[in-house]
Amino acid sequence: MRATAAILGMLREVIPDLRWRRAVDGRREIVSGLAGALLVIPQAITFAYLAGVPPEFGLYCAVFVGLLASLLGNSPMVGGPNTSVSILIAATVMPFSGRGSPLYLEFVFVLSLAVGVVQLAIWLLRGAHLFRYFSPAAITGIKTGVGILLISSALEGTLGLAPLSTQFFYEKFDVALTAWDSTVNPYAVVTSAVTIGCGLALRRRWCRSYIMLAVLAGGVMGCGLYFAYGPVTTQLELLGHVTLRAWPFQVPRVTPQHWLFLEQVIPSIFAIAVLGLAQSLVIARDLKARIAPDIDLHKEVFAQGVANMASPFFSTFAGSGSFNRTAVAVEMGARTPLSGIVAAFAVVLLAWVLGPLLTYLPMPAVAGVLALVGMGMIRRREIRPLFQSFGDAAVFSVTTFSVAFLDLSTGILVAVVASVVFFMVRASDVKLTISVEGEQERIAVTGNLYYASVDGLAKHLRTDPTRDSVLDLSRVPYCDPFAVSVMEAIRAERERAGGRLEWAAG
Amino acid sequence: MTRNWWCAMALAAFSFSAMAAGARPTIEELKARPVLDDYESNIVYGYNIVMETQRYAPRYVGSRLNCTNCHLKGGTQPEGFPLNVEGVYPRWRAKNGVRNGLGLRIRDCFLYSLNGVMPPEESPEVQAVAAYIHYLSEGEVIGRPPDRWGVPTLPETGSDPNPARGSVVYKQKCAACHGADGQGTAAAPPVWGPGSYNAGAGMNNVQRVAGFIWANMPLGSERSLTHQEALDVAAFLHIQLRPFDPRTTNLWKLVERIAQAVSSFFGAGKP
Repeated sequence: MRATAAILGMLREVIPDLRWRRAVDGRREIVSGLAGALLVIPQAITFAYLAGVPPEFGLYCAVFVGLLASLLGNSPMVGGPNTSVSILIAATVMPFSGRGSPLYLEFVFVLSLAVGVVQLAIWLLRGAHLFRYFSPAAITGIKTGVGILLISSALEGTLGLAPLSTQFFYEKFDVALTAWDSTVNPYAVVTSAVTIGCGLALRRRWCRSYIMLAVLAGGVMGCGLYFAYGPVTTQLELLGHVTLRAWPFQVPRVTPQHWLFLEQVIPSIFAIAVLGLAQSLVIARDLKARIAPDIDLHKEVFAQGVANMASPFFSTFAGSGSFNRTAVAVEMGARTPLSGIVAAFAVVLLAWVLGPLLTYLPMPAVAGVLALVGMGMIRRREIRPLFQSFGDAAVFSVTTFSVAFLDLSTGILVAVVASVVFFMVRASDVKLTISVEGEQERIAVTGNLYYASVDGLAKHLRTDPTRDSVLDLSRVPYCDPFAVSVMEAIRAERERAGGRLEWAAG
Repeated sequence: MTRNWWCAMALAAFSFSAMAAGARPTIEELKARPVLDDYESNIVYGYNIVMETQRYAPRYVGSRLNCTNCHLKGGTQPEGFPLNVEGVYPRWRAKNGVRNGLGLRIRDCFLYSLNGVMPPEESPEVQAVAAYIHYLSEGEVIGRPPDRWGVPTLPETGSDPNPARGSVVYKQKCAACHGADGQGTAAAPPVWGPGSYNAGAGMNNVQRVAGFIWANMPLGSERSLTHQEALDVAAFLHIQLRPFDPRTTNLWKLVERIAQAVSSFFGAGKP
C-alpha cells in the first residue's frame, strides 16, 4: 500500500504540473521573462567560454536546459548555464583533450549526460532530503570562492594574457606585474576597464540590467579601438560569428573511448551533479519559504536531471538553477514557470536578432562580464552575519579557501564535510546545570547524550566516586546505548566506592 | 584500474603496429576508426575545416570561401598552395613584419583570405588546422621548403599585365564557373566582391594569382592559358572591388562592417 502511494507520488513528480496556469499573472511573467532573456545572453556566452565550448552552446543551454527545467519543474526558478558547473566541466574535460576540440565537445556531451543520469538517480533515492544539510555558510563559501575564481579567470581576458594558461591566479598577477610591457595588451585593458567600470557605476542604479549596459559600453569601446587602430595593431580578440541552428538536435556519440573517459571522471560527475542540484535546491528552498509554498523539491530535482540528461541531445552542456537570474525574475514579478518558458523563447529571438552584431563583441568585454558576475557573487550582506558564530565563520572560511586555492570539486567535498563536522560539534555540546541539595547533587543535562558527547558528563561524574548524584535527563532528546552503558559503568563504580548515581529519564 | 590498463595497452599496441607499418593513415582511414586520440581527431577536424570552412569554422569566417578554394584538394596539390609547409615555420614575413609561427600564419589566413576575424592562437579551429598541416608535412625536411610549394613564378612575358584583355579572357574561360559578375556559383567560389578575399590577402597580388591561374585554372584543363593570359586575368581580378585591407585603419570601415552585418542578417551577403 505504501509502495503504491510512493510510486503514485513519484509519477506526480514526473508529469508536468500545469496547474499554475490558472493563477498566472501573464503580463508580469512575460516582462520578467523578457528581462531574463536579455540578462542571460552575455552570461551564456561568458559561461560557454568558461566551459571551453563555442558560444552557441551557452545559448542553447539557456534555451533548452532552461525550457525543460521550467516545463517539468513547478517554480519560478530560472535554469540554464551556471558558473560553477561550467568551471567544473572545463576542469574535468581539460586533462583529456584540447580545449574546444571535437573530442573535447564529445566528452562534454557524455559528461553532461552522465551528470543528468546521476541527478535522476538522486531523485529516485529521494536525495532532495540530503541537501537540507548543506548549511547556508557552506553555500555562501562556495559562492564566494567561485566569485574569486571568476575574477581570477577574468584576469587573462581583461589583460589580454590569452596564450598564458597558468594554474594559480597569483601566478597571473606575477606575470602581469613583472612582464607587463610584453604580455599586457593595453587595448584589451581599456576595453575591459570600461566594461567593469561601467558595470560598477551602474550596479546601484540599474541592478537588473547593468551587465547588459556594461557589455554594451565595453563592446562599443572595443569595436571603436578595433576599427580605429586595426586588428593587427590592437590584437583584440573578437567573439566571431554566432551561428545558431534552428533545431540543433543530435545524438551524442558513446564509444568505448567515452566510457573510458567517464570511468576516470566519476568523482567529478558526482561533484557536478551534487553542485548543480545543491544550487537549484538552495534557490528552490528559498523560493518555497518566501514566495511559492507549493514548490515540490523532488520535482525540481527531477526537472534538473531530465534537463541535463537531454542537454547533449540539443548540442549543449549541463546547467543548473541560477542565483542571479532567478533573483531578478522574482523581483520583476515572476511567480510561476511561465517566465522561464518565455525567457527561453525570447533568447532564441534575441540571439537571432543580435547575432550579426555579436560577431564584433570583443572578448575583453566578455572577460569584464566574468569579473562583474564574480564580484556579484561575493556579497558582504551574506558574509557578515556568518561571522557572528564561530562555526559558521569556520565553515565559510574553510570552504572559500579550498574552492579558491585547491579546486572546485575539492571545495564542495570540504563544504559538505565541514558542514557536517560543525553540525556534529554543535550537536555534541552538552550543558550541565549542577545544583547541590544537602548531600545530594542534582545535575540537569541539556543536549543529546551519545558517543561523542558523553565524555564531559562522565568526566564530571568520575571526579568523586563517593558522591550521591541524581541526573535529570528530561531535556535530553536522544540518548544512545553507548551513553547508557557509560552511565551504568559509573553507577557500578560508585556502588563499589559507596556513592550513588540515579537518573530520571524524560 | 586493470581494465583501463588493458585498454591503454591495447591502444598502445595498436598505434605501434600502425607506426611500424610506416604508412601515414589517410583521412578516410582515420574517419573509419572507432577510436581517435586528441591529435587524430584534430587532424580530421582540421581536414573538415579546410574542405568545408563555411560549415566547420563559421565563427571566424567573413567571406564565402573555403580554405580548399586556394589550397587546392585540401592542401595536397603541388603548386596549388600545398599545406605541407610546417617545416618552413617559424619564418619572418614582410606582410606583418614579425616572425610568424604556424599558428599566426593560420590566423592571418582567417583575417585576410577569409576576410573574417582573427581567431586566437589557442582556438580549437587554429589548433585543428595546425594539426592537419602537421599531418600533411610528415616526411618533409625541417627548414627546407617542400618541392613545388606555393605557386610557380611566371617568367617575364615582355608585356605588361592588361586588365582589359584580362576581362575578355575572364568572360571566355572563367565566367562559366565563377559567374560573369565574379560572385561565384555552386561550382566555384567568388573571386571578387563582398564574398571573396579582402584587399590584404596574399591572393590580391598579380604575380601570385597569375601563377595560381596558370598552374591550376581552368579546372580540368590546367596550363592551357598562356603566361600572358594568366597575367591579364590576374590584373583584371586585381582592379575589382573587394573588402578593404584590415591593416588600413579608418573608422569608416566600422560603418562598412555594420552594413555587412546587417546585409548578412537579411540574407544578402554571407549565408
